Amino acid sequence: MLANLRQRVSDWIFRARVPEAPPVTLVQRRIFILPTKQGYLFAGVLLVLLLASINYALSLGFLLTFLLAAMGSVAMLHTWRNLSQLKLRPGRCDAVFAGDTAYFRVVLESPSRDRFAVAIRRRGESPVFADVRASEPRIASLAVPARRRGRLACGRLEIFTRYPVGLFHAWSYFDFGLSVIVYPRPDPMAGLPPQQSLAGDDEGVPIAGDEDFAQLRGYNPGDPPRQIAWKALARGGDLLTKEFHATASAELWLDWIDARAADPEARLSVLAHWVIETERLGQSYGLRLPGVSIPPGRGDVHRARCLVALALHGEGSAS
Amino acid sequence: MSGALPNAALDVRNVMWLLASMAFVVAPHALRLPEWVGVFFALVIAWRGWISWRAARTPPRWLVLVLTAAAVMATFVAYGRIMGRDAGTTLLVLMAGMKLLEMKTSREVVLAIHLGFVLVMTNFLFSQTIPLGLYMLACVWLFVATLVGYHRGVGRTPTVRERLVPAGMLLLQAVPLMLVFFILFPRVQGPLWALPQDARAGVSGLSDSMTPGNISKLIQSEATAFRVEFEGDIPPYSTLYWRGPVLWIFDGRTWKVPEFNITGSQDYSRAERPVRYAVTVEPHGKHWLFSLDIPGTLPPGSGIRQDLQIRSVRPVDTRMRYEMTSYLDYRYGEHLPQSFRALALSFDERRNPRTVALGRQWAREAASPADVVNRAMQLFNSQFTYTLEPPLLESAHPYDEFLFEAKRGFCEHYAGSFALLMRAAGIPARIVTGYQGGEVNPLNRELLVRQADAHAWVEVWLDGRGWLRIDPTSVVAPDRIDGGINAALGPIGVIPSLIAADRLRILANLMFAWDAMNSQWNQWVLGYNVERQRQLLAQLGLEIASWQNLALWLIAAALAVGGLVGLGLVLRDLPVRRDPAVVAWERFCAKLAAKGLVRAAWEGPFDYLARIETARPDMAIEARHITERYVEARYGPGITRRESRELLARVRRFRPA
Repeated sequence: MLANLRQRVSDWIFRARVPEAPPVTLVQRRIFILPTKQGYLFAGVLLVLLLASINYALSLGFLLTFLLAAMGSVAMLHTWRNLSQLKLRPGRCDAVFAGDTAYFRVVLESPSRDRFAVAIRRRGESPVFADVRASEPRIASLAVPARRRGRLACGRLEIFTRYPVGLFHAWSYFDFGLSVIVYPRPDPMAGLPPQQSLAGDDEGVPIAGDEDFAQLRGYNPGDPPRQIAWKALARGGDLLTKEFHATASAELWLDWIDARAADPEARLSVLAHWVIETERLGQSYGLRLPGVSIPPGRGDVHRARCLVALALHGEGSAS
Repeated sequence: MSGALPNAALDVRNVMWLLASMAFVVAPHALRLPEWVGVFFALVIAWRGWISWRAARTPPRWLVLVLTAAAVMATFVAYGRIMGRDAGTTLLVLMAGMKLLEMKTSREVVLAIHLGFVLVMTNFLFSQTIPLGLYMLACVWLFVATLVGYHRGVGRTPTVRERLVPAGMLLLQAVPLMLVFFILFPRVQGPLWALPQDARAGVSGLSDSMTPGNISKLIQSEATAFRVEFEGDIPPYSTLYWRGPVLWIFDGRTWKVPEFNITGSQDYSRAERPVRYAVTVEPHGKHWLFSLDIPGTLPPGSGIRQDLQIRSVRPVDTRMRYEMTSYLDYRYGEHLPQSFRALALSFDERRNPRTVALGRQWAREAASPADVVNRAMQLFNSQFTYTLEPPLLESAHPYDEFLFEAKRGFCEHYAGSFALLMRAAGIPARIVTGYQGGEVNPLNRELLVRQADAHAWVEVWLDGRGWLRIDPTSVVAPDRIDGGINAALGPIGVIPSLIAADRLRILANLMFAWDAMNSQWNQWVLGYNVERQRQLLAQLGLEIASWQNLALWLIAAALAVGGLVGLGLVLRDLPVRRDPAVVAWERFCAKLAAKGLVRAAWEGPFDYLARIETARPDMAIEARHITERYVEARYGPGITRRESRELLARVRRFRPA
């Protein structure tokens, strides 16, 4: 209850404009710093040392006390400096299947000097530590279990450090609005989709497939590797893609109606499995969900588009 | 804010660092405290090292409790208590060992490091020499390096360099602030609470009696006895005899100030001009005041005895300052009343028979009393050694033991035996105690006289000459009189044979340099107290009215110095001057991001532009212009300064609705 209240007050104080435009540079006004428990303990020890020095008139005791006190103050600067002027950029956040681990990546970059033991964490989770060398970008990956399909938002992240001596905790918040698409977990028991031909058309419109070789064309990113003309490449030519024609009859519609399962989530799992399997078999396929229809196609881009549609089904912004 | 320390905290190498630091800081204690303490601690270190090395289990809780109880009991058995300097330190060392043994979490590791800092402090209770100070500095460095190591852990343990260098930097950068605090932190007089009995050997000042051994205890005290400001030049060092209690009564072992009042007419003839000076005496709780032989005036509220001892009416319980004049070249006491003569010749016939016999033998053989004095001086000159650690003279005949067996002693041994020899030879003699010399502060030409300068000498009465000062110590250790106590003890006390073999005097010079360094250390580091602080600040032109005033100065100076150090650190990584085109572009992206159009990290400027044009046709023209300018500046032929400034202005005007 109290912790909850504290969290809300902290959210209100440290609220940031969301999402922020990268890169975020940790400038002075973004960095907060407070003593840690160790820091308070250290202050207590200093007090004991000071009293002993006064009482026993120990000059070296005074020197020790003041050296440590000054060291503590300098350490505060060092801790603060360990974050100051650090540059943060969002990294690639790949889609995963539900039940797998999603990684939110943040790129840390220090223009001027090395930083040590910089940690990033999501609220309530354990942090990831990284050393950031000068002008050598470093990627910190936060592992988060992806439990449910849909869009997994990273939320606000805390970056903090206690280096060098752990007496102070310097921290800052940032939010790039990072998110990971979580595909429905494929249902391995779903088998293959029912074969079904497209009724009443035989106009022979060529559809990209892989049955009959048609021609070579220039490589486009996303073309499946097994369609690349490796021989042409080996002869010293450009990177080319072999194009095939598939007959329209091989085309397949993966339909919400056909995926019979107990509940909508299970249906999505069945459909996900079908998408993966059909793609693996090299067949061309389309996807039909209530309110969404993706025309047939194939390749990694098409597959991803279908899986995204499944992941975001019923969440409004299915684009 | 919890659990943020990585779990590397109990990593083997980190634990080894902690154990090594602990072993270093406890090592000097192992030499001072009973042997079993050192042995116990070494075993604990080895045990813990083994536990970490072999990933063995820490001892069970009950065993730690039993060992702790045993440690407390052993301490109590050894000292009869568990408080006080020695017992307290022993207990702390044992407890630190227990902590090392049982630590499991990173919190306990940090606690152990803090205990290490306290252990450094306990070392200073025993010794504050330069070598120990440097050694302890190294220990602090090790501890801070250990602390840095614990907070560096990211999967791999840091190297030696990665620990020592940041720790060294931290400490180096802390030095200016430390000095500010050391100089300006308001010092308070006296302990805050009663000191344990063994905290210091009880030193306060001269007493009204002298037994072999009690002045050499005083010599070890760096406490100030009094300070003197001279008008004009400081007289030669060898004339600086500060007269204190005069001892007439002798019982075979102890010399005492007579209980009854020695008064009478003082007849002294003076030559030349007097020396003028002001004395600031530290409280010593007794009645006497100090002056150079022989006083020409009296401080207010005091009287002078016939033996030239100045006594204050009230005991000196607070610091007091008085002005004096003295005549260094003098004759006095040419007429010696019979009662005083008898007192100056009396001794117990049954004590120290060999000394008495020697004195009587000289009286028979010598041509004159002056000849007797010379014989005694020659005796000391030929066979005796000056030392601060004389053998204990505990027999019924201490001066016999000293003169014929030990032949090693300190000023009170020489003065006491000399006076007894004189009395046995029929020459009236008495002992004067006080201080000899002092240390000139080169900054303010003030003479600082410490308890360490305590001295005892003899006055003999010669017919036709009056009372004459004889300092038998001067023939044994001339440096004592010319250069102060440190000069005397450096070469003579330590390794005389080496010094003798040292033709080029390299060793001697080194020792003098070391000595001078020690003296500075004593004066400016160890002896830095309320008085010295006030004095130093006065020289810097700061008149400090109160400690509150001083505290304000401290805060101001600490802020100034801390600010400079901080500025030095921060200035080093201010962002370098950046390309204005980049600044403009980033600002442009930020403005759009605020409207929901965040540029993805992988998105090139034109890809981004395409997205803007689709999403927000209303600002397409402006966005295209800005993007093209930026691309031209960054990836194309570049643009002029003026154009980039224009770009910046354009972005500033750009307001997405």
